[in-house]
Amino acid sequence: MYLTVRNATKKYGTFTALDNVSIAIEQGEFVCLLGPSGCGKTTLLRLIAGLTDLDAGEVRLENETLSALPARKRGFGIVFQSYSLFPNMTVAENIGYGLKIRHVPAGDIAARVRELLDLIKLPHLADKFPGQLSGGQQQRIALARAIAVDPRVLLLDEPLSALDAKVRAELRSEIRQLQRTLGIPTLMVTHDQEEALALADKIICMNHGTVVQAGSPEELYHKPATRFVADFMGISNLIETGVIRTVQPDLLTGRPAGADETYVACIRPEQIGLTPAKDGPATVRSIGFLGNLRRIEVDSPFGPLVVETHGAIACREGQAVQLTIAPEACTWVANDEAGGAA
Amino acid sequence: MTGAAQTTNRAAPRQGIDGDKLLTLLCVGLPLIGLLLFFLYPMVIVFLRSLTTAEGSYGLQNYAEVLGSGGFWRATRHSLIMGGATTVLSVVLGFVIAHGLYRCAFRGKRLIRAVIVLPLLAPSLVQALGLIFLLGRNGLLNRFFGLEIEIYGFWGLLIANTLYALPQAVMIIGAALVLLDARTYEAAEVMGALPARQFRDLTLPAARFGILNAAFVTFTITITDFGNAAVIGGDYSVLATEIYSQVIGQRNFNMGAVVGIMLLLPTVVSYYIERQAMKRQQGQQATNALPFVPQFTPLRDLPMAGLCLAICAMIVAVIGIVVYASFVRLWPYNLSLTPRHYDITLAGGYSSLWITILISLMAAAGGTLAVFLLGIGLRRLPAALMQPIQLLAAMPAAVPGMVLGLAYILTFNSTATPLYLLYGTAALIAIVNFYHYHTQAFLTVMTGFRQLPPALEEAAGSLGAGMGRIAVNIIAPFVAPMLVSVFFFLFMRSMVTLSAVVFLTTPQLSVAAVTIMRLDDAGLTSQAAAFSTCVMGVVCIALLGMKAILAYLGRRGASRGAD
Repeated sequence: MYLTVRNATKKYGTFTALDNVSIAIEQGEFVCLLGPSGCGKTTLLRLIAGLTDLDAGEVRLENETLSALPARKRGFGIVFQSYSLFPNMTVAENIGYGLKIRHVPAGDIAARVRELLDLIKLPHLADKFPGQLSGGQQQRIALARAIAVDPRVLLLDEPLSALDAKVRAELRSEIRQLQRTLGIPTLMVTHDQEEALALADKIICMNHGTVVQAGSPEELYHKPATRFVADFMGISNLIETGVIRTVQPDLLTGRPAGADETYVACIRPEQIGLTPAKDGPATVRSIGFLGNLRRIEVDSPFGPLVVETHGAIACREGQAVQLTIAPEACTWVANDEAGGAA
Repeated sequence: MTGAAQTTNRAAPRQGIDGDKLLTLLCVGLPLIGLLLFFLYPMVIVFLRSLTTAEGSYGLQNYAEVLGSGGFWRATRHSLIMGGATTVLSVVLGFVIAHGLYRCAFRGKRLIRAVIVLPLLAPSLVQALGLIFLLGRNGLLNRFFGLEIEIYGFWGLLIANTLYALPQAVMIIGAALVLLDARTYEAAEVMGALPARQFRDLTLPAARFGILNAAFVTFTITITDFGNAAVIGGDYSVLATEIYSQVIGQRNFNMGAVVGIMLLLPTVVSYYIERQAMKRQQGQQATNALPFVPQFTPLRDLPMAGLCLAICAMIVAVIGIVVYASFVRLWPYNLSLTPRHYDITLAGGYSSLWITILISLMAAAGGTLAVFLLGIGLRRLPAALMQPIQLLAAMPAAVPGMVLGLAYILTFNSTATPLYLLYGTAALIAIVNFYHYHTQAFLTVMTGFRQLPPALEEAAGSLGAGMGRIAVNIIAPFVAPMLVSVFFFLFMRSMVTLSAVVFLTTPQLSVAAVTIMRLDDAGLTSQAAAFSTCVMGVVCIALLGMKAILAYLGRRGASRGAD
């Protein structure tokens, strides 16, 4: 383990932002902290950065305890959602600032800045001021500034959230590429599950100040541990045990033992087969066109379901359809929000 | 497990953090010591002195004596009537001008804006001086129209005070009006509301807190002002002149302290209400309001333009005549021009002007540095420590200059403490000026600090910058416009203020405003006008300097694309 957080707890008055959280990041790994707002993910990132003090627990980098070290002594790089470039410095001065603090000779700083500007493909902007640049350019420069000092860990706090969709997608793949090339262990906070799925080697899904599930993107998508994770990682059809038992009992095969309300079935919309059938038990309520796929809402014996298909389908709203669900498409997840609203 | 981790945390060496902790301590500590020593401590002293009886024991005799004297009640009644009348007049006129500037379409608004600030560029007694030249026994009006207007007393003081309070009223009400979103008016227009209805239903309610705020500010300015009352008040005694006559006339410091405490009561109440009103108004602010661009409407705009111009003409006449009179050979008998009044015959000549410039520079430089350090330090303190310090830093505005000056003479003209060494020095006058205007300086810098995103400091911190480096490289450039404003604000106020310094000048050390008062007292009215003109000249140069620097910073910011 390269970076570890053990039993981290942080309270703000009576509000518990982090409740006994432990996570680990391997050398060279890209980890995403994923969760809804207020789940504690940013607090966790900030206390790893040293910007917030721990109430209890510890942060450790290899064999070194960081808990007592102020942010400026940790040698981490951080990128914020708000870019946070220094408005009074040029792009080159911004990128070279960390090196200047480390008393690197001016010539070496200039060379390193040029190298980084080439790396982020913005070599012509060296003498511009941040206010003259677009959001995407500013965030690239913030990234260059953070990696200029060869940080031991790169921390990204929702770096893409302030950007528009197209720039976000571009920068997402650039961040991924850069991280792979440089091999800097990276921790990124995001509330966007798509972003986490696309970028991460490992996703740590958080809710209410605790880690709900940690694992590869595939694991979290296909084998969500709880109803919260299933719901948060994309669209899922969550069906009560009792309904499954009456409508399609063969889906109960993989169900762990336990009372009816302890587990619910999770079926992803793309794993439901849909065929027009005159006497089919389900009815199409609406068809949404999403370009490459169709999202179809269906009234079925399971209740309302969402089905996704690639390409055009031969049915209209109000039409009767047949649904097919393979037993292995059904994952049973712990009903962590039993009785409560999602 | 958790317990063990905590123990290791505590035991771990906190290397490096101590440097920043020490800096935070210095940043908060130095200005805080200043506030305690030069504001809170003198205020405690003045309070204790008000309770000190002639025999040296503590008791309420002084209060009983003051409350039992007819003179005090007369002065209080006068102060309250004068405060109320000035407030009504200056808020009404201030609203007219602010409404003209921000809600009407006519040319010459730049001129109106420039004229409106004129009274702030001169010692308050200049209004009174101007009125005497205009309307006094030997004033232009009485001479040329053979009238017998008696300007000394209530009416003269009312006009002088109104002119002095007007800039503040215009600025505060204007700030409330400018916040109104144009889209609100467009919505009302589409719904069929007529202009008069829009004014009643949209403009007035939105300006309500601005008007309330302006009322309290002008009330406070009026009842605490000394210069105008001293020059044109005549027999119309008010609390500020009452303190002066107790202290300077009768050398009765303890009674002066009592009157001071009595004057403090209404200003503290008024200041408290004003702060509450400010909070309400800030709550209303729309973050991205679309500015309202008025269309020319003759029926509304022509009378408004006329009114604004008339008020401005009045201000220009009162200030302008002081400049004019300073060049007139023998007012009002021989109106030929001469520079001879600029040869000041009073002991000391222009030395008090130079020393005032020096004092003002000291107050401006030291004060700007102090509030900057305090602002940096406060960002790093936990809220529980920060809030009481912020409260203390915002308190001096509630204390009238006369009371602060009295508190200083009681504190520093006593050989009981080593602070006595400061008595009679220019440094002490610079200090009293800074603490007199501490609140405004502090709040301006804090506004700048609030706009500074915490992520900037955190980013710099993560790159390895310590607190000193962050202050110099990141914070100072960001709040530079506020620091420039604070510097010039302190400089200009120090140049013209009279109330706080009037007790602290000595025969060896006088300041410009006091010299003007002495010249006027000695009957050398033309020389008083000449000296006033010099002071206004210095302040105008400072104002132009500030505008130039702010424009430069603004242009540089714009060329860097900062919004």
